[in-house]
Amino acid sequence: MSGGRPVGPARDVPRARVRAQADLRALAQAGAYLLPSLVVFCVFVFYPLVRNLELSLYETTPFGGLGLFTGAGNYAQLLGSPAFLNSLRVTFLFALYTVPAGIALGLPLALLANRRIRGIVVYRTAYSFTIAVSIAAAALIWHWLLDPNVGILDYLLTLVHLPKVGWLTDPRWALPAVAATTVWKDLGFNVVVLLAALQGVPDELVEAARIDGAGQWGVFRSVVVPAISPALFFVGVVSTIGVVQSFGQIHILTQGGPLDSTNVIVYSIYRNAFFNFRFGLAAAQAMILFVLVLVLTGLQFAVFERWVTYQ
Amino acid sequence: MRARVTRRELLKRAGAVAGGAVAAGLAPARVRAQAATRIVFWHSMGGNLGETVVRAFVNRFNASRSDIRVEAQYQGSYDDAINKLRASIQSSAVPAIAQVYDIGTRFMIDSKGVVPVQEFIDRDKFDLGVLEPNILAYYRVGGRLYSMPFNTSTAILYYNKDMFKKAGLNPEQPPRTFEEIEEYATRLTQSGVTRSGIALAIYGWFFEQLLARQGALYANHGNGRDAPATAVVFHEEEAGVRILEWWARMVKAGVATNPGRATAASQRAFAAGQTAMTADSTAVLASLLRGAGGKFAVGTGYFPKPPAAANGGSIVGGASVWILKGRPPAEQQAAWEFAKFITAPAQQAAWYVGTGYFPIRKDAYREPVARETLAKSPQFLTAISELRSSPINRATQGALLGVFPEARQKVEEAIEATVLGRKTPKQALDDAARDINQAIAVYNRTMGVS
Amino acid sequence: MTRPIAGRLPRAPALRRAAGRAGLDLAMVAIALVVLFPLLFALSTSLKTDVEVNQYPPSLWPHTIDLGNYVAALQQAPLARFLLNSFIQSGAVTLGQLVTASLAAFAFAFIQFPGRQALFFLFLATLMIPGEVTLIPNYLTIKALGWLNTYPALIAPFLATGFGTFLLRQFFLTIPRELADAAVIDGCSRRRFLWTIVIPLARPALATLGIYAFLATWNQYLWPLLVVNSTEMRTVQIGLALLQAQEAVSWGLVMAGVILIVLPTVLLFLLGYRHVVRGLTAGAVKG
Repeated sequence: MSGGRPVGPARDVPRARVRAQADLRALAQAGAYLLPSLVVFCVFVFYPLVRNLELSLYETTPFGGLGLFTGAGNYAQLLGSPAFLNSLRVTFLFALYTVPAGIALGLPLALLANRRIRGIVVYRTAYSFTIAVSIAAAALIWHWLLDPNVGILDYLLTLVHLPKVGWLTDPRWALPAVAATTVWKDLGFNVVVLLAALQGVPDELVEAARIDGAGQWGVFRSVVVPAISPALFFVGVVSTIGVVQSFGQIHILTQGGPLDSTNVIVYSIYRNAFFNFRFGLAAAQAMILFVLVLVLTGLQFAVFERWVTYQ
Repeated sequence: MRARVTRRELLKRAGAVAGGAVAAGLAPARVRAQAATRIVFWHSMGGNLGETVVRAFVNRFNASRSDIRVEAQYQGSYDDAINKLRASIQSSAVPAIAQVYDIGTRFMIDSKGVVPVQEFIDRDKFDLGVLEPNILAYYRVGGRLYSMPFNTSTAILYYNKDMFKKAGLNPEQPPRTFEEIEEYATRLTQSGVTRSGIALAIYGWFFEQLLARQGALYANHGNGRDAPATAVVFHEEEAGVRILEWWARMVKAGVATNPGRATAASQRAFAAGQTAMTADSTAVLASLLRGAGGKFAVGTGYFPKPPAAANGGSIVGGASVWILKGRPPAEQQAAWEFAKFITAPAQQAAWYVGTGYFPIRKDAYREPVARETLAKSPQFLTAISELRSSPINRATQGALLGVFPEARQKVEEAIEATVLGRKTPKQALDDAARDINQAIAVYNRTMGVS
Repeated sequence: MTRPIAGRLPRAPALRRAAGRAGLDLAMVAIALVVLFPLLFALSTSLKTDVEVNQYPPSLWPHTIDLGNYVAALQQAPLARFLLNSFIQSGAVTLGQLVTASLAAFAFAFIQFPGRQALFFLFLATLMIPGEVTLIPNYLTIKALGWLNTYPALIAPFLATGFGTFLLRQFFLTIPRELADAAVIDGCSRRRFLWTIVIPLARPALATLGIYAFLATWNQYLWPLLVVNSTEMRTVQIGLALLQAQEAVSWGLVMAGVILIVLPTVLLFLLGYRHVVRGLTAGAVKG
């Protein structure tokens, strides 16, 4: 897929030559604006990607050198491996636990933080400060809260006579626990963005809806949500991309375990490349992930962007 | 507050030995600036004592030498550090000397990016007779010492003496066999003195130790020591299955808890009095004593061993320092001087009392600081006695595998699957072995090992 | 909070509304406490001695405040230096991304050139490449450039952003076309149009991108670990790792490190909060 894309502009060039000179001038002008980004991308993104594609066709040496050419061997091995299919499933579940929850919690908090009462700044800060907490710090804090033996969360459970839960050691709970950490950490960002959007909803619109006899819920549904839909879409896309690339919290909390229940693709790529010394396999995994995200994001745009109302 | 004093005291004791000459060294440092050979030392000793003591070693070394300047650079965990080395080992962008964990030994040798310390030992006529024979046996490969052992440990059993007493068990007699541990754990749990008799972290190293304690091999070709291993064998004999059966049985009966893969969690459970026994490296002894803080008496015992296994024993764990080929000979020589320094009796004794890693050499126990600590806390003797009582053979020398990190992880998955009741011990080990053997085949093929 | 309401004895609907409001107030306090709890508990842990940290049941607040963990953390890791490095890295990357993304987004939004769609999709595609893919080749590139252990190594690979370009383009597209046309008729050059009209209008989007870029860079772990060797060049996230021992972890010490590292960014956030929110909303209000 990626090999074909750079051909795009080149293919258009002959057409441009036939057309007016204006096209060429526009291209030159656009080129000047695009050049800084393109240079960085070529050196640090596209070149590594091509290298990666090459690696994925080989059985590599532990130093990352090309060993034996195996063609689609790595891909075949992956697609037939239950472990890889599991990591696809885990990645999907992780996104499912994290992205909707982040919005479902972020939106009410942003609504509360948008109330016009005294001392609201204090609440706004409390609801959004996790934006300033790094993922490593968040994961370490939660590691401590979730400790199976001396952690405070389990202690609180025993206070209400519930059995202790092995948050990070029970395969049923590990992924939700990692997701909870992620939701907490991302909450601040979601609140900040959604609050900003809410503050941008014109009062007149809300008033007009009220006069038309709409209740609280009606106003929210027919005026507020459409008005902040670009922000909601934005939060959705950014969280999805972030979640799919999650590494730090998994590395600190579970290292992919127990029983691979938190072994998302990115973590399994990391393991294969930097722990198991299997670059070729990791490269093939990465290529598959790349294509998957490409398709997913495309779908997200196709399905949801239509729903977004740009002003 | 008491524990705070203890920690300071420990730090001071370690620091006094290691960093005594720091202040004195500052002045000459300026004078020698031009001629000195500068070398970089990569290490993985994070945490309170790790960093402090390593820094003190370096300062003291720099103060004692006018011709060498060492700069210590922390490179993340053992895994992080070997990754960084791997990316650069065949170039000059390497440090002169680097700390690598035990299971990286085969890979480091195969990388062809190192200078075996044996070359310096031969040139210097350095007497290896002062080193603990079991440690030498681990790090010697094909009769040659490739790296200098630095921090060495074995796994031991920790137990809460107060809980033993309350449960009517003799606090001076820790359990010695699988059956005894199970029995004690059951008694401790059922008598209600603790929530769980034993907390066993799912740590592949424990499996390796328990295998060796039974005198069984991990990999073929004499644990990869007669010739490079081509397959693991831990699943073929009774020994491996016995470990997992025992482990899973205790968890199922509710007398053992599963704290996950990190021993940090089992240490906390032990320190918090949430379990009566735990398995861990002797390297955490000082930290556990500190964590218990006098709330209860900490007992230590050998790792379990079947009575019949006369040829069974412990394997050395920890890390060693490697001299890298990518740097010029002068730096390599300077690195050797530094390696000798950090493994000298004074430094090894300081390291020992500060952490629990035992000295690599026998004469370190004569250092005053070691004698003092041993008089006060005899627990510091457990691991080294355990090691000295271990016969030296292929099983206790430990396996050499290029893909050891991956193998260990696969075994951990097997333990996890068994403990969580998803697989039978035999099935779990067979699955792990299949994956590992495939990894070994790829490694051997791409590295040109045969 | 309910007392004055009860005292006034208002009529039923008003009473219900007031009660509802009070309930909401209470809920807000409760939620704030829940969100803050992990951080507060980390703070509490950092002030405990090792013995108290290892106590069960855990104490909510230390019996005696002990600053030993902070002393140890500061002694052990030059956190101030790590923070400075992280600020330099994140600041430079943020600035760089704002510039390159503004330029690229401008071209995509306002210039009709052949191959625009394809090129835009190429930019978007960069978003979806997992960072692990580029790690090793980029390390080799940095090594070849002789940039190991320098700021450029920490900064250069992140100076362009598909995400930011996308974000800004979306925003630029909401700027009425008539504005652009009018500018052209006025003989305003493209460059002047960008700097004097588009950028000021795009403040909210730029603020969002700025925050996002800063945080994403601030959170990096693997890349800085790989390309930087010496202690003086380390960034904060690695400082956190430095506080964890290979064999035994002292949670009091680690939490002290967490607090020390979180503090500056939280403070910065508090100080900049109004600006950020104003920046985010400034343009959006005009509708």
